[in-house]
Amino acid sequence: MRKTHEGDARVSEKEEKEKGRFIFERGYIDSERIIEPEKLELGGVDMSGRWGTLVLPRTIEQFDHTLFEEVKKLPGGKNIHRCWQCGNCTAVCPVAHAHPEFNPRYLIHITKMGYKTEIKKFKEYVYLCSGCGRCSVACPRDVDPKGVMSALSILFQRGV
Amino acid sequence: MIGLNPVLVVGAGPAGLSAACDLSQAGVRVLLVERREELGGAPARWKYHTLAPDFVPVSRVLGPLIEQVTKSELVEVKKGCVVESFRGSVGDFEVRITELKTRRSETRRVSCVVVATGFEHFDARVDPRYGYGRVPDVIGINELEAMLSQGRVVKRDGSAPKRIAFVFCVGSRDRSTNPWCCTVCCGVSIKQAIELKRILPDSQIYMIYMDVRTTGLWEKLYWDSMEKFGINYIRGRVGEVYHTGQKLLVKGEDTLVRGPFEALFDMVVLAVGMEPGEGTRQAASIFGLNTNEYGFLLPRTPNIHYDSGREGVYLAGSCVAPMSVEEAISDGSAAAMQCVKLMKVMRA
Amino acid sequence: MDERLEITKEDERLFERLASERRAKLAMGTVEDYLRMLQKMRELEQKGEITVHHVTEEYQPVNVTTLSGRLKKIPTVKLWQHKSCGQCGHIPGYVSSLYWIMSELNVPYIDDTNQTSCTAWNYYGSGTSNSVALTAVFLRNMHVAWEKRAYPLIHCGTSYGDYKECRFLLITNSEIRERVRAILKKIDRDIVVPEELVHYSEWLHVMRFEIAQRKKFDVSQVKVAVHAACHTYKLMAEDFTYDESVLGGVKPAPTSSIALALGAKLVEYSNWYDCCGFGFRHILTEREISRSFAYFRKIRPIVNETRADVLLTHDTGCVTTLDKSQVVPLAHGYKESIPVLSDSQFAALAMGAHPFLVCQLHWHVTDWSALLSKMGIDWQKAKEEYKAYLERVKKGEKPYLIKPPPFG
Repeated sequence: MRKTHEGDARVSEKEEKEKGRFIFERGYIDSERIIEPEKLELGGVDMSGRWGTLVLPRTIEQFDHTLFEEVKKLPGGKNIHRCWQCGNCTAVCPVAHAHPEFNPRYLIHITKMGYKTEIKKFKEYVYLCSGCGRCSVACPRDVDPKGVMSALSILFQRGV
Repeated sequence: MIGLNPVLVVGAGPAGLSAACDLSQAGVRVLLVERREELGGAPARWKYHTLAPDFVPVSRVLGPLIEQVTKSELVEVKKGCVVESFRGSVGDFEVRITELKTRRSETRRVSCVVVATGFEHFDARVDPRYGYGRVPDVIGINELEAMLSQGRVVKRDGSAPKRIAFVFCVGSRDRSTNPWCCTVCCGVSIKQAIELKRILPDSQIYMIYMDVRTTGLWEKLYWDSMEKFGINYIRGRVGEVYHTGQKLLVKGEDTLVRGPFEALFDMVVLAVGMEPGEGTRQAASIFGLNTNEYGFLLPRTPNIHYDSGREGVYLAGSCVAPMSVEEAISDGSAAAMQCVKLMKVMRA
Repeated sequence: MDERLEITKEDERLFERLASERRAKLAMGTVEDYLRMLQKMRELEQKGEITVHHVTEEYQPVNVTTLSGRLKKIPTVKLWQHKSCGQCGHIPGYVSSLYWIMSELNVPYIDDTNQTSCTAWNYYGSGTSNSVALTAVFLRNMHVAWEKRAYPLIHCGTSYGDYKECRFLLITNSEIRERVRAILKKIDRDIVVPEELVHYSEWLHVMRFEIAQRKKFDVSQVKVAVHAACHTYKLMAEDFTYDESVLGGVKPAPTSSIALALGAKLVEYSNWYDCCGFGFRHILTEREISRSFAYFRKIRPIVNETRADVLLTHDTGCVTTLDKSQVVPLAHGYKESIPVLSDSQFAALAMGAHPFLVCQLHWHVTDWSALLSKMGIDWQKAKEEYKAYLERVKKGEKPYLIKPPPFG
């Protein structure tokens, strides 16, 4: 069981993956978008479990730059706006090579555009950053991804 | 060079003006024929405001050229006219020039020709995705230039837009419209975005791009737009622009997230590409010029623009390939030089 | 900005068509290929290799235009009803409404028991079957219609789409043609290809003014949203009806046109071009996606953007998906809901058909009561009548059946 700051016990990772296991192309869908009701009925008809499962759409409907603005305020993140998504940082990142879920380029992108579902999915991984700084050396625009990762880790701790 | 027939320059855009200007300054007589009632080509027609990458006003670049050709005694300017026929041999070509309004024609003799018939902006009505022409506040970069020239960018209802999206590659790099790259639209769009931010500092601008091709020294436009002006970039393509009644719903795919987006904007600017226009088509037919599969005039070798393969006929400018104003000016100059060389030989 | 021209309706249509045509170069069976196929069909007929079931004057055809501007003949009488397995199975009101309308308009038709399923759902849904089998089934049905001198009218969008594909393959591929011929020979039939593949919504489109004349209820206050089926206008886009006077000829005409002819208010919404969610195989293998897509991507935006009273569509799959998918979200607590009907049901209701005996509205999951009240139809009374009728049938009374007008 993974504990959050609130102390509430959240659904275990195993249970998360079990959700919607009957969906044919389950692999393409984020568990967060699957709503599988344990108990559901309408008008006397039982729609629990599989019959009542819904999948939420993943269309991005707005660009919310508040996280981006917060990152810019922190010293490490002041150059985040320079990023043009070339991927040099991820290419040299030693962590990314072992853990593909940690992708500095992608983290910067979703931060800049404010894609909440993606941020929720990947925010935990920012702590995998080792702080080696190879990214900042490789970055052609001087974004300082290392600084951005550090800024993000602070902001996520604060619950932003 | 008294005694020799003048040089016919077809088209008074940047390339044609540059050729006419250089020729007249070299002492050569020029017959400058322009279809429209004003000189300046596309920059004049669409009221271009400034040129990338340094925001130089168009008037500063084209102004002197227009002044030279208008003032020079060696240049005869025929506005509102087209070339209807062409025959003869180098040094003594016979052309028939017709005034469009009156349909009156006259026959003239010219030594050689510079074809600089320019381009047309892609008509985005042909690509119905964006609703151009059907839906208010979807405009092309050409129309935006005109608005920037007036210093006032407003929606159809007169209010200032707060959220603006630029869509790159409209009518370019697309098999179903035009398969080539127009080279300058990326830079021009970014230039415009920066200018927009200057007059509407509270606006939020998004550039929806496939690639950003700000070549050479234009690259700094791209960097400045992000670093100094806070312009946002979304790598992706737009599938549909739907008018909700108040705003524009832009539906597309964000490639980097691998996911669909549907966001509301006040105005959508399409980076409409450059394509060969009616003038170029006519010129190809009248002067017997080769064209490539897309309709651009085809030089003998693609790397040397002025050489049409036909003796005495030179090509210059965007009728050969999409290019910037500065490149067109150079092209015109190069073609003018060929005329001067030719006429030197003829005189000898 | 003197260069910005005023766009005429004509230009709009031309440009949309130009763009479709240009894109058509890349995909199979689109405008140019399709027109070439029709040309080849004529050639094969001349050579005697196939027989073509022409839309002759005895079917009293009316011309419509397709995407490319080609004239398509829509037969209006002596129709052979090519039924839909899904309709008869899930929403019988769909087809009985159509029969009722035809009966009211005195249009003779044949409701043949000698029809097989087109097996297209099979094909699209699970990739079973093959081009020869599908084409053989297609031609078998067409042959029955031809023998009875009635013109096939295809009820289902999926059948229509499948038949467009089969006809295309049959005409352009001689190997398929010969193999299908061999199969048909075994059942004493031969290749008869219909000159036009006609979807029933196109019939409704050409008959819309006659239908509107017989209108009994006022629908001028009814807001109608329309959903067009992928199989009718996206698959083999060239073949479906477009009309300059309906939505400027930019969107397909059927269904929208009958709503307009009846006097209803047609509304626009942002996801018009989206699939209903049925998909091809999705309703079978990804039911959760289908139902979620139908609700979140179609129903909810339609309700929120337009507050329409009814959503009309012209395909079996679309009606079932859009209607039935609403129940799970409603159970979850989502509020947005809209009744979904076929255009034939809506037209029949407007003409005064019985909501239950004819339109079979009790098979629908969504609540149509507000719609019927708005139209001025006393559905409570109709419900009582229907219950009483059912009691009588239980006691041995003959059920009410719609009689086709005599064929003559």
